[in-house]
Amino acid sequence: MALGTAIESEVELDLRADRPWVCVVWDDPVNLMSYVTHVFMVLFGYSKEKATELMLKVHNEGRATVTSGTREEMERDVQRLHEYGLWATVQKDDEF
Amino acid sequence: MSTFKRSEDGSISITFTSQEAHVLINLTEQLVELLAEGDGQSHQVDPLLHLVGISNADSLPEDPVLRRLLPNAYADEKSAGEFRRYTEHGLREKKKAHALTIYEALLPQDEEWTGDTPLDKGFLTLTFPSDESLEWLGGLNDLRLALAVRLGIGTEQDRVKNAKNDEDVITTSESLHKKYELMVDSDPMKAVYSVYSWIGWLQQSLLDALTN
Repeated sequence: MALGTAIESEVELDLRADRPWVCVVWDDPVNLMSYVTHVFMVLFGYSKEKATELMLKVHNEGRATVTSGTREEMERDVQRLHEYGLWATVQKDDEF
Repeated sequence: MSTFKRSEDGSISITFTSQEAHVLINLTEQLVELLAEGDGQSHQVDPLLHLVGISNADSLPEDPVLRRLLPNAYADEKSAGEFRRYTEHGLREKKKAHALTIYEALLPQDEEWTGDTPLDKGFLTLTFPSDESLEWLGGLNDLRLALAVRLGIGTEQDRVKNAKNDEDVITTSESLHKKYELMVDSDPMKAVYSVYSWIGWLQQSLLDALTN
């Protein structure tokens, strides 16, 4: 029993370590909706449909996860979004 | 007011009145100066670190416009500070480059007018390749963000109030428009708001030119 528990928790730890980081975009009343959609399309290569869906999620829910991956990748995405004036943050995807 | 147009070869062009051009020259110039202010100088500057783009800046800038343009990348202060040390200088440089794209497209032609042309009579047409559009869009967006801070739109305080469902807070563009429409013409904030609206309109026109 003790051994089983130990293995189980180890597996769980591994899963947590693999959990990706995410890049979250926050709503900003200044940025035009069409501009935000355009930035998502150009920076992330998203289709117009996907970019519009994410933009609407930001607009309606106050935030949306736009990309996920390694911490370094997410930091690069946040930096690029900041370059174009969108308000974005990096976090572990279980921080909501 | 003129709009951006895309020609058959894909390049983008626009004709500004000299008055419009002067507004953009003036604002982008101010933005570039502001972005250079206090770059990496929150403490003592280490010239070697500065050379490789690492700054000592590890907290949000004090200037409210810079706080808006260079936001934190993490919710927690420690990670945000660490990330900022490595990236803030680069972010400032990128934003300066966007503003300079607009400034430099307008300035050489502006110098040709020297003196004789009344502000409201001159026109200038400029053309740029469509792959420069993103720099223009980003530069115009930074101008809007900077003006929004002066107008009190979408500031941190505004966000907090909004979260508390304070009905007095003005967040929709419609109610904002109403607020500034009702202002007397002599109110300087009314002029700031009309420039803010105009730049948004310009940005939309460039987006339309790119997608249509």
